[in-house]
Amino acid sequence: MQERFRATASHEAEGDGEIAVTVRNVGMDFDGVQAVKNASFDLPKGRFLTILGPSGSGKTTLLRMIAGFQTPSSGEIFINGEAVSAVPPHKRSIGMVFQRLALFPHMTAAENVAFPLKMRRRDARTIPDRVERYLALVRLGGYGGRRIHELSGGQQQRVAIARALVFEPDLLLLDEPLAALDRKLREEMQLEFRRIQRELGVTTINVTHDQREALVVSDDIVVMDQGEIQQKARPIHTYRQPRNAFVANFIGVTNFIAGTVRAVSEMGDVSIVRGDLMLAGKVGDPVNPPAEGDKASGVIRAEQIRLAGDAAQLSKLDCMLAGTVTDTIFEGERMVYEVACAAIGDEVIRVFDHDPAAHTQFDIGESVFLGWNARDMLVFR
Amino acid sequence: MRAARTAYPLTWRIMDALEGVAAAIWPARFRRATPYLMLLPAVLLVGLLVLGLIQIADASLRTLDTTTFQFSDDYSIANFRRALTEPLFLVVAQRSLVAALIVTAVTLVFAFPYAYLMVRTRSPGLRKFLLIALFLPFFIGQVVRAYGWLIILGNQGMVNEALGLVGVAPMRLIYNYPAVLFGLVQYMLPFAVLMLAPALTAIPEELEAAAGSLGANWVRTFIHVVLPLARPGFVGAGVVVLTLSLTDFAVPAILGGGSQDFIANAIYDQFFRTSDQGLGAMLALMLVALGSILVGLVFALFGAGTLAMGRSRT
Repeated sequence: MQERFRATASHEAEGDGEIAVTVRNVGMDFDGVQAVKNASFDLPKGRFLTILGPSGSGKTTLLRMIAGFQTPSSGEIFINGEAVSAVPPHKRSIGMVFQRLALFPHMTAAENVAFPLKMRRRDARTIPDRVERYLALVRLGGYGGRRIHELSGGQQQRVAIARALVFEPDLLLLDEPLAALDRKLREEMQLEFRRIQRELGVTTINVTHDQREALVVSDDIVVMDQGEIQQKARPIHTYRQPRNAFVANFIGVTNFIAGTVRAVSEMGDVSIVRGDLMLAGKVGDPVNPPAEGDKASGVIRAEQIRLAGDAAQLSKLDCMLAGTVTDTIFEGERMVYEVACAAIGDEVIRVFDHDPAAHTQFDIGESVFLGWNARDMLVFR
Repeated sequence: MRAARTAYPLTWRIMDALEGVAAAIWPARFRRATPYLMLLPAVLLVGLLVLGLIQIADASLRTLDTTTFQFSDDYSIANFRRALTEPLFLVVAQRSLVAALIVTAVTLVFAFPYAYLMVRTRSPGLRKFLLIALFLPFFIGQVVRAYGWLIILGNQGMVNEALGLVGVAPMRLIYNYPAVLFGLVQYMLPFAVLMLAPALTAIPEELEAAAGSLGANWVRTFIHVVLPLARPGFVGAGVVVLTLSLTDFAVPAILGGGSQDFIANAIYDQFFRTSDQGLGAMLALMLVALGSILVGLVFALFGAGTLAMGRSRT
């Protein structure tokens, strides 16, 4: 197990080319409130990083400091190796797509896209061509003459992206621009962001509270909470190997079973007890592992639990709990069961059935058994 | 049922009773007429004004017989000709118009940073201070304020005393054109700020941040983003300041000391000094026409601004 973590760590570091952005020990105080605490990470060139966190986690503050709208109270930000704290936004080579897009309402789509080129005094003869090329890139060819209010929400998004990219910035920043869109359009635009980012290879930092968006679009995810970076990892590692209980809870549908640590092995195996129940799992955070006698939580994803009406069907699994179905929620592509388990004081465990048509259905009030494998349960202090 | 009814609070039952009375006086089927009923006072007031204007138009076409002090029975355009030919009136008209234009320009330039700071400041304390400082002059009134300037700027006033301390001989700071312009700008500033502030509030701060991130320094952000988007506010403020300055009476009368008459002062003189109501009425009509043409010109060139009530052409 330890080996697997080491392998993961080296995997995170591999393939790192030149570093585009370095955030080093950056902190931000607002009247004594620490919005960002001692944040550090490196972002290699050409990668798509998402800063993910709930509102008030400091993610937007961190982004605004990178953009230059706010100056860090402590620490330093480097862009292409150059310290930028003293550089005003208009002298940084950063394209930004704002939360409410911030398109200029008194200009057409093309004038909006041409704005950064004019402000940067690019050769006026090349501007119309370049504007048209970038409008085509975001699939808005021929829409240049439209006023902003004549465009749909999705089209406005695309104008904002074209405007942020047209001057070939070193860095693209996305400040939750998709938050206001309806789900269908949002998912479409997420893929669009990924396509454009890959096509141009521009280093990108995206801020969102939408865990799905973070998983879909990013090369790397930085999870933030209460001003602190909780974890920086690739999406798949963020999901499968959350570094702490917050990350585990914030991403995915996660069940927590509180208990006391009975034993920890050097291989990362750990067992926790709760009353008469003993559950086996794996150490979640090898850097900060729980010790015998600690209070700890076993963390298990809803999709890693099997559900059966008969205990014998789950005999191959390491852990088993009996319970009663308290609610069933049909979500189309899956069925969500809420099961109250007597062994853990009738706490509710959520379980996904991803193929409800093929499986036995359970009704509210039915007795069921839950089972999972020890390697799927992570234990955090 | 009865017990439940009495359980309602007294205020509810009073409101029910009032609504019942209202329904008896003004049944629901009259409801469509309610907005017009509410409009009635305003319509009456404007109507009276129109009647007054007709009266003035009538008077403006009658000439005063200086021997009998009677007005002619028949109409003539003699007053019109006098107003256009007598040098005094041309001087007064030119003085008013130039003053109105200068005051408007200077006031807008001064009002913008004030309004901008008031709208954009992050400090609620500073915003409150700026608002109070803005409204304070309104409580003092134009005449008292103009008189205050006389005291401050007069020959024995504070300014001349201070200049005397550094060895500068007393200067004549009042009863001249610059003094009137100064007084007018000072009087108009709050109006302009109040007209500009909503237009600036309507510009999302994010737009300025966006302009910055796209490579515009603050000067270019101001020219390319803030100024065009604040145009409705400038038009609204400009029209108000222009018309108020053009028609002002107290400031030229007090700070001009009789030597810097505006059109309104000339009209006053015709009505109350020479008692030539015909000529006074003609001058008044011409002032109305001049003001209307100026406002029409501004609207034609720049749109109606905030005065278009959100129905702008853009």
